[in-house]
Amino acid sequence: MSFVNKVLVAIGSGLKHVFLVKRFTLRYPQQRSVLYGDGYKYDPKEGVGIAGYRGRHILFTDKCTGCSLCFIMCQGISTAIEMIHLENIQVPVNKKSNFPQIDYTKCVYCGFCVDACPFYALVESNEYEIDAYDRESLIFTPEQLAIPPKTPKGTYDIEYEGGAHHRA
Amino acid sequence: MSTLTISVGPQHPGSGHFRLIVTLDGDRIVDAIPDPGYVHRGEEKLAEYRNYIQNIPHFERMGLHDANNMMFAYVNAVEHLMDLKVPERADYIRVIMAELNRLIAHLYYTAITGIFVGHSTMFMWPVGDRELFIDLAQMIAGQRVSYAFILPGGVRNDMPEEVKKKAEKACDYFEKRLVEYDKLLMNNPLFERRAKGVGILTKQDAIRLGVVGPALRASGVKFDVRRNDPYSVYDRLDFDIPVSNDGDTWARVWVHMEEMKQSMRIIRQALKQIPTGPVKVNLRGQVRVPPGESFGRAEASRGEISYYLVSDGGRFPYRLRVITPSFRNMIAMPYVLKGMVLADMPPSYWSLDYWPVEADR
Repeated sequence: MSFVNKVLVAIGSGLKHVFLVKRFTLRYPQQRSVLYGDGYKYDPKEGVGIAGYRGRHILFTDKCTGCSLCFIMCQGISTAIEMIHLENIQVPVNKKSNFPQIDYTKCVYCGFCVDACPFYALVESNEYEIDAYDRESLIFTPEQLAIPPKTPKGTYDIEYEGGAHHRA
Repeated sequence: MSTLTISVGPQHPGSGHFRLIVTLDGDRIVDAIPDPGYVHRGEEKLAEYRNYIQNIPHFERMGLHDANNMMFAYVNAVEHLMDLKVPERADYIRVIMAELNRLIAHLYYTAITGIFVGHSTMFMWPVGDRELFIDLAQMIAGQRVSYAFILPGGVRNDMPEEVKKKAEKACDYFEKRLVEYDKLLMNNPLFERRAKGVGILTKQDAIRLGVVGPALRASGVKFDVRRNDPYSVYDRLDFDIPVSNDGDTWARVWVHMEEMKQSMRIIRQALKQIPTGPVKVNLRGQVRVPPGESFGRAEASRGEISYYLVSDGGRFPYRLRVITPSFRNMIAMPYVLKGMVLADMPPSYWSLDYWPVEADR
């Protein structure tokens, strides 16, 4: 093939996509991609995790004993977890009322705090939209972590026929 | 003869904070001296104060879109010293994740090659197609880039069964796309004139300088850790190692393109062969490594990465030495860049797949 021919082939392969192939850009706030599962969990008896997206944590304050294992694990990774004392939550398993507080300006979402918890008290959810106008709002207290997030379900999945695009 | 010395960088000349001191005679490059160290974080020293699990998120940050391969060599070293045999299913999941990572990293490489030769479409397409494999990796490991997924004893969670169907579809789709990439970039005469015969690294130089990875294979040396020193289940999988004898910029991009095809081949085979069973050895409590020394290596997307681990039996490693592929490829830069015009420097510099964060660690 000559020089001109090859250039035309290159331009043609690009031009085809302007008219023929559907594109797979998501119009994000209205459309969301589907996440598998409902968050990463860990089964300390079996010693394996349960597949899922690793987003914002959920703390079950009725199960947390305040043992600080998540805090100790996080000390070597991102120092995002801090144990704080709360008067208003009284749980029989947690005599001293110590609960983890997570600073999302530092958290790297590795999920090793979930792996460290032997009491099924800490899991991760599908929530990935954690935003605020100031840094203080990103520090989640145990009460805030206890509330499960209300993330809208993803409605768009990738379809591969006729070029990859999102199916409604 | 009067020359001009200019400083390319350190504010993000291409892939990160790194400086290249280039001496010019007119428009020709007389000398190019790499000046690394701007993103040095002391990962090796940090590792001495963290236990074997806490080290995982730290070492991943060397090559973020190659995170799984960064950890593969680490777990090889740790498991060798612990004398630990991981379940077979875990091995296959590791290989699938490693090859998905290779695809993600190579697609990023292709995209940046495109933008460095001024080809915006070739930047947009690979970045878009990369999302397919990121979606797959996210389904398995739960994160888009920083997986923290493989750890001593296996992998963190089981692979969902839906991955099989989705991965087949993504591979089918992407194979068609690679034909279009060839039309748009590899056989495009405008790119051929920019890349063919430019930035030649001879076979002798590549061996003498200790270059690794795709840059070595593009210079005609058939060396791949997956084949020459098989780890995990790579010895049971059938794949080719693309080798080119040209050693120029075009050949290095071509090797990356061919490796993507081989990665898809490996993923398809691994998904067929994968057995059922447990995915992790339940180690109970902290990972304790008996005293001793071990060496683990793996083929990351940029080349061979190796860890040298010395343990004294404690909670933390006594010493953990990391040698990354980018660090070993950096020394080839003066040899590759000498003699070319300055306008050809960005694509040739990038064709070595140099990643400052990984090199400085």
